[in-house]
Order: sequence, then structure tokens, then C-alpha cells
Amino acid sequence: MAKGDNGVRCFQGLLVLGNVIIGLCGIALTAECIFFVSDQQTLYPLLEATNNDDIYGAAWIGIFVGFALFNLAVLGIVGVIKSNRAMLLAYIILMLITYAFETASCITAATHRDFFTRNLFLKQMLEKYQNPEPLNNDDRWMSEGVTRTWDRLMLQHECCGVNGPSDWQNYMSKFRSINSDSEFPWPRQCCVMDIQGIPFNLDGCKLGVSGYYKDKGCYELIAGPMDRHAWGVAWFGFAILCWTFWVLLCTMFYWSRIEY
Amino acid sequence: VKGDWEALFLGVSISDLLFPAQSLRPQIASPQLATNNPTFTTVALEKPFCVFDGLLSPGKSYEVYLYAMMDSSNSAVTDNNSKPLDTTFQEVNGGQLGPYKAAVLNVPDCASPPKLADIRNVKKASDVLKQYLFRVGDDVSCLYDPNFLGVCNPPLASGTTYRFKYILVDVTSGIMKDETLWSEPIKTNSVKKSSTIDTWPGRRSGGMIVITSILSVLIFLLLAGLFASVFFAIMGSEDSATTETRHISQTVQQVAPRPQASSDRADQ
Repeated sequence: MAKGDNGVRCFQGLLVLGNVIIGLCGIALTAECIFFVSDQQTLYPLLEATNNDDIYGAAWIGIFVGFALFNLAVLGIVGVIKSNRAMLLAYIILMLITYAFETASCITAATHRDFFTRNLFLKQMLEKYQNPEPLNNDDRWMSEGVTRTWDRLMLQHECCGVNGPSDWQNYMSKFRSINSDSEFPWPRQCCVMDIQGIPFNLDGCKLGVSGYYKDKGCYELIAGPMDRHAWGVAWFGFAILCWTFWVLLCTMFYWSRIEY
Repeated sequence: VKGDWEALFLGVSISDLLFPAQSLRPQIASPQLATNNPTFTTVALEKPFCVFDGLLSPGKSYEVYLYAMMDSSNSAVTDNNSKPLDTTFQEVNGGQLGPYKAAVLNVPDCASPPKLADIRNVKKASDVLKQYLFRVGDDVSCLYDPNFLGVCNPPLASGTTYRFKYILVDVTSGIMKDETLWSEPIKTNSVKKSSTIDTWPGRRSGGMIVITSILSVLIFLLLAGLFASVFFAIMGSEDSATTETRHISQTVQQVAPRPQASSDRADQ
């Protein structure tokens, strides 16, 4: 058993407190990552179509790591109170593994966040929106997802294109290849419509008369939530790791000093 | 109001009263109004307000023809008897070989031009646009419709320079009375390929660098700490085995150098 004096009790108390915080943070991390993965804004198809949904991978890791942290915190508390060498050794080793996974999740989220550029979504929109001849079933699935998501975004959020409706005018697109520019300078969803979905003035919309077309871009609506979630996964994970680092070091110290 | 209107348009001055049109050119529609102009295949032009007024004699009916051609081509729009040409889009290869008749319009009413401010009014907007401008290249179906009889105004080519000209025609005699100059060259938008868009984010953000570097260091320190604690655990138990320290332990004498083994024993 450990020494019975106050110093040791105090140290044990600190370790227990540290583990309680780790456990709570673990639950919070799981909750946050579940919220992210549940995709409230239904933007996942856009991410899927970039062939890079690492940020979702990071969030899935976060879910399991959060749960593991909670369980390990319980193990740690019991181990510290009982001063059981075997339990604490298991705690330390499992915690190191969890720590490595969470590091991976954190770095992935932080790195992938940098890739949410305007051009990424612009290029994808131009190449996938209403793509009439997808290369294969996978491409068809992605194109349909992108088309559906963009239609919904432009209708519900009063925006058009990534930077604005001029995206459809500045670049050649799959949409342009199947729709005449005279008739569809941009998709109909870019027109300001009444409740029945009829443009207030179609000619005004085509000509870009202010008030009859949506001149705002959708970039903030896409990148905003993704960016915030990725930021949360990365920096909350980072904060947990910084805290866990000290608790783990102290636990190692404690473990090496337990006497029989 | 009328004075403003004229100034907005072509800078009509009183000295041009006799044949004002011959010093004027068709103008592109106000960019404050039509922000999406020109597009790939269309050009919206102002209708010729107050341009042909000096020549209108009462009791006769007139029409305005709009001709379009690609830049750098033959520019006559009438034959030798000043009859306007009836060339179509197909006949001149989309304006390459010469001007084609793109539209037949009523003479715009100089006395009551549309008020551009009315464009905000949803009910009036449609009329204002119709009165104020004409969109060349607007009709996507007339080329392919065998029953189409009017003047066809099919989409223009993208990335191409066009010139336009209004002429005034006496309907009964079918003779051109007046004409504007050819407009300044107006270029339709050219196609930029989407594959030229670079999606690489460029520099990494500071946050990503901070997270990656600090976490790498922390992992390293943790592993170092693990080895250190294992090392000290072994050293400590050997010390206590040799020096008989103050705490009694039933397993001290048998402590093996491996921590796993010692912890196994701790369970017993």
C-alpha cells in the first residue's frame, strides 16, 4: 500500500480529480463528435464528393476515444484509490494507446480544416452539379448528392454559387454544358422566388437585376459549419490531450513510487 | 425626367436634332440595372430612345430593326435601293459573313420612357425591362423550330466580339430612313475551364502547425515518462530489496526486474 501520510493522500486526490475531469471531457468529446457526425446541415454529400472526408474519420475516432477516456478515467480512479499496481499499469498502457488515437484525430481534423477552400467547393460544384454523364455509379451517387445539396442550399438559404451567381458565368460547368446560357445563365434556384417557386421576374433574374436574383454566395453556409465543427474536434481534443498529459505523467510517477 | 433620360443614354445634344442617329451608337444596357451582361451567349442593349425622333413624320408607321454582326466583317445593312437586308442568322453564319437582322422593334416612345426606379416594383418590372432593353441571343428554340416565322434571335457565340446597329424603317415603303453607327465592339464572355481551378490550400494554418508539433512533443514526453517510471520502479524495488526500507512487503525479496512480473505479483 501507499504511504499513509497527507502528502500521498493529497497526490491521490489530485489524480482522482484529474481523472474525473478526463472522464467528463471524454463524455463531452463523444457528444460533440456525435453532433458533428449526425450532420445537422446535411452537408456531408459535398464532403463525400471531394473524395476526402477525413474530418468525419476524425470525428468517428473522437466518438470512441471520448468513450474510452470515460472508461479509463473510472479505471484510473479505482486504481489510484486502491493503489493497485496492475490496474494502474493497465490504465497507463491503455491511456497511451487512446492518447495516440486522439492525437491522430486531432491532427487530422486540424489539417483537413485547411482544405475547405472556396475553390474546392467551386470546382466540385461546377463539375458535379447536374452532371449528365457520370463516369460510374460512384460518380453518379456523388453527383446526385451534390446536386441535391446545392439545390437545397440555394433554395433555403437565399444564396447562389460558392462566391455568388457569377461563378456560373465565369466558368464552364457541367450545368452549362446541358443548359443554354441564354435560358439559364445560372440555375433557376438563384432567382428570387415566391412561395410557389415561381421567379418574381425571370428576365430580371437572367439579366441580374438587383432584387430578382440572389447575389450572395453560399460559401459561408458550407464552410462555416464544417469549419466550426472541425475546429471543435481539433481544439477540444487538443485541450483534453494537454490535460491528460499531466494526469498521465503524474500517474506514472505515482505508479513508480507505489510500494508493497 | 426626360432630360435625365437622354443624358443617361447617349448624350443627346440639341445640335443633333436633324439626323441625331447618325452620330450615335447602340449602347449596352446600364450595368447598374443588368449586372449579368454580357453573358456567354447574350448581350442586352438599350433600345434607341429619342434617337430617331427628328425623322418621324406623323401619320406614318415606323419600325426599328436591329442588326448584329461579328466584328471585322462587311457592314452594309441595306441594298443599293436603301432597302434593309433580310438576312438571317444562318445565312451569314451567325454574323461572321455580315450583319443579320436580330430583331424588329417598335420605335421606343421618347416622350414616356420607362422609369428605371420602377424596376423595384415587382408588378412593373417586367414592363420596364421589356421597354428599356433588348436581349440579343435570347431565343434558344427558334433555330430548331420549323414553324418559326418571325425574326430569329438565337444565342451568340461565346468569347466573340459583336457590333450592333439600329436602323429606322418606314413600314409602308420598306425603306431605311435613318441609322445609328455600328456600336463599339462588345465581347461576350469567354469560357474558362473549371479544371483550371486550383484547390490546393497553399500554406498551412498556424493552428494546425501548433497542434501537430505540440502533440508530437507530448507523445514523445509521455513515452519518455513511461520508460523513466518503469526504470525507477525497478530501481526502487531493487533498492528496497537491498536496504530493507521502512515498509514491509511480502514480495520484496522476489521482485523481478520486469514491472509486468512485479505487478502480477501485486495481485496475489
